Amino acid sequence: MTFPSSESLWRRVERLLPTVIKPGRYVGGELNQTVKPWDSVLTHVALVFPDIYDLGQSNLGIAILYDILNQREDIAAERAFSPWTDMEAALRETEIPLYSLENKRPLADFDIIGVSLPYETLYTNFLNILDLARVPIFSQERTKDHPLIIAGGESVYNPEPVAPFVDAFAIGEGEEVILAIVEAYQTWQKVGGSRYDLLIHLAEIPGVYVPSLYEVTYQDDGTIADVTPTHTAAKTPITKRIMATLPPPLTHFIVPNVETVQERVSVEIMRGCTRGCRFCHAGMVNRPIRERSLEEILTALRRGLEQTGYEDLSLLSLSSSDYSQIIPLIEGLRELLTERQVDITLPSLRIESFSEELMDVLQTLTPGGGFTLAPEAGTERLREVINKPISDEELLETARSIFKHGWNSIKLYFMIGHPQETLEDIQAIVDLCKTILREGRKLVGGRARLHAGISTFIPKPHTPFQWAAFDALDSIESKLEILRSGLHGVKIKMTWNDPQESLLEAWLSRGDRRIADVIYHAWRNGARFDAWREHFNIEHWQQAFETVGLDPGFYSHRARDLDETLPWDHIHTGVRKDFLKKDYQWSLEGRIRPDCRERCYGCGILTAFNELRLKSPDGGWKCP
Amino acid sequence: MSGQEDITRIRVQYTKGHELRFIGHLDMQRLWERLLRRSGLPIRYTQGYHPRARLNLASALPLGFISDAELLDFWMNEPLPLDDIRERLSAATPPGLTIVSVQDVDLREDALQVQMTASEFKVSFFDPQDETTLKNKVKTLLDQNEIIRSRRKKTYDLHPLIMGLEITVVDEIEVGLWMRLLAEPGATGRPDEVMDELGFENTEYLILRTKLILNKI
Repeated sequence: MTFPSSESLWRRVERLLPTVIKPGRYVGGELNQTVKPWDSVLTHVALVFPDIYDLGQSNLGIAILYDILNQREDIAAERAFSPWTDMEAALRETEIPLYSLENKRPLADFDIIGVSLPYETLYTNFLNILDLARVPIFSQERTKDHPLIIAGGESVYNPEPVAPFVDAFAIGEGEEVILAIVEAYQTWQKVGGSRYDLLIHLAEIPGVYVPSLYEVTYQDDGTIADVTPTHTAAKTPITKRIMATLPPPLTHFIVPNVETVQERVSVEIMRGCTRGCRFCHAGMVNRPIRERSLEEILTALRRGLEQTGYEDLSLLSLSSSDYSQIIPLIEGLRELLTERQVDITLPSLRIESFSEELMDVLQTLTPGGGFTLAPEAGTERLREVINKPISDEELLETARSIFKHGWNSIKLYFMIGHPQETLEDIQAIVDLCKTILREGRKLVGGRARLHAGISTFIPKPHTPFQWAAFDALDSIESKLEILRSGLHGVKIKMTWNDPQESLLEAWLSRGDRRIADVIYHAWRNGARFDAWREHFNIEHWQQAFETVGLDPGFYSHRARDLDETLPWDHIHTGVRKDFLKKDYQWSLEGRIRPDCRERCYGCGILTAFNELRLKSPDGGWKCP
Repeated sequence: MSGQEDITRIRVQYTKGHELRFIGHLDMQRLWERLLRRSGLPIRYTQGYHPRARLNLASALPLGFISDAELLDFWMNEPLPLDDIRERLSAATPPGLTIVSVQDVDLREDALQVQMTASEFKVSFFDPQDETTLKNKVKTLLDQNEIIRSRRKKTYDLHPLIMGLEITVVDEIEVGLWMRLLAEPGATGRPDEVMDELGFENTEYLILRTKLILNKI
């Protein structure tokens, strides 16, 4: 294949740009980007987030890997994102291949293309990017002249649905394994060999899953019979990678010139969560909990502000109020705030870990505005089933305290479609919202505002609810109707997810390798930007299921047998399947499992990573 | 806190290069706010929950244009030597933006937008142009009594906004255009509209702003 040299490619692109919306998405050139002379490095890695620049540029995972790779003198990492539909049409019409933002090189010129897949609704965009880059969609059609396609991110803890498109997956945390992958590639570059040789080398790296080295067989009922390695380098199970100690946080953020969804200094204060909500994928796959030190966080925030000039900063974690130094941290932030005139975002606060003291310091930090709480279910009984045991009284007390401290508006997150949910649980959401608003009115009068955000429960792999069925669409619709009519006319704002979009996620998140053909055909039918309401079209998917001859209900609405071999069983998150099974059984009994920082329940993490923990006693692990 | 008497108004002339060609006016404002924050200068902020740096750009430069001569005012809480200011701003610039000059301005001066009277532009073409053909196009355009166009559903006459429109020839081969357009509040000529009247699509040329003309200068 011959491609135009990057200079003439860029000249052609520049003439297209005045014809598309927001052309600043396609030009790079931002502060803090790294551009290395193309021939000055041995290995070129394109990092791809398969959605538009506006979203992808805000992704912290990609930003971290970009920084790590570019610190190496022999590696250049460049970025690429999905073009919006107008730019895609322009590129296809003029036959210009998708290019990187730094050196404006066609993606096919890179040695490695690394794709971030944090959620399933990016899959069709991923295929579209390969196509725009003129890289064969299916791994088996690629030769040694094509880039190596690697993928990582939260959704690939079940890699099977995209297995035929990816040469190698990085399972788990990417900071170390990305370099191991590039180094294995470099060795192969120097020594030479077939593409198969390269795949074998990659399979030898802990945490790397090369799907083409495994054969999957099925039973007559469509469930998995066996997953068998076809080469000795291919291990089973593949255990995820974790960082024993969280590395120093990124501070050298690229500052976009055009507006993107999140433009702020973001520092991850801790990784993992010990709460054990049974629906929560992130809470199960990101164990164990590891904290960064107060000093490290505050220094990084300060340094980040200096390097970017951002007017906003944000703390990232699954449950910020569980951070052991949360009060001193907020006090440190307050100093930063008066010193530098910045805003702050502090997501993921938990209802039960709210002390009056925390409320007092928070109030000085973000006065006015809104406050978000996530009870997730309407009744105490159902909150016990999902293992988010908060009593109604605790919830009301927190809400009262929020209003008392001067906030006027509360946003409540609920999920519908939980296992064992009844219509009474739904009605209870309505009642709870009304009670909270009433309490608010007593305290702040007519200024009190309530917003209920409703999403649909989707059973996720590697969670205690991985065996549960996704609720039927008509059932979800009728539950939404109860909520809409119940909350109508009482000045409570309600927003909800499109149940059909949730259905797509339900198909894909617990899919097996055969569903890859459905993804492929859906893309061929025109599916892309499935995460965008205005683009999502379920018919592309229904048609694709028909073409391939698979029953969609098999993936979404079927409760799995506890003894079934699940498509992702050969991927090990450190949490044992037995533990998940027991937790699922506990949920059926309404039995709760308290926060495991108090006492260890033996989920398996400590056994899986015992050696690693011993090697880094100062890693800030919060396991007892 | 510094007293009112220490407040300083600084005027910066800067360039907007190729890297920033596709950045629009609002994005340039955000870019400047961040540049000022990075500079570490004692910037004056607006009051309120979301403090913003107080700054003022002379004239919006449409997306797709580059410039050698943009102007901006910002305010500081205390005076500093101009060389220091220039140095600190230069150290904080993103790719594509260069600080040309920095000067002190009287606090009582009108806002830059109010002072604007005209802008000058150079147009270069991506494909070679024939000088005679272009000359004829320009003559035909300027010979009209009026050039009625509509912008945001209002009709207006472009002709009186064109203060000058000439052919330029670089190295005896590269044929381009030079124009000076009126830029008063409510009466601003846009070079891309002139180009449209001359029959060119926005994919065929690049516009460089070369000068902003203020009434006092």
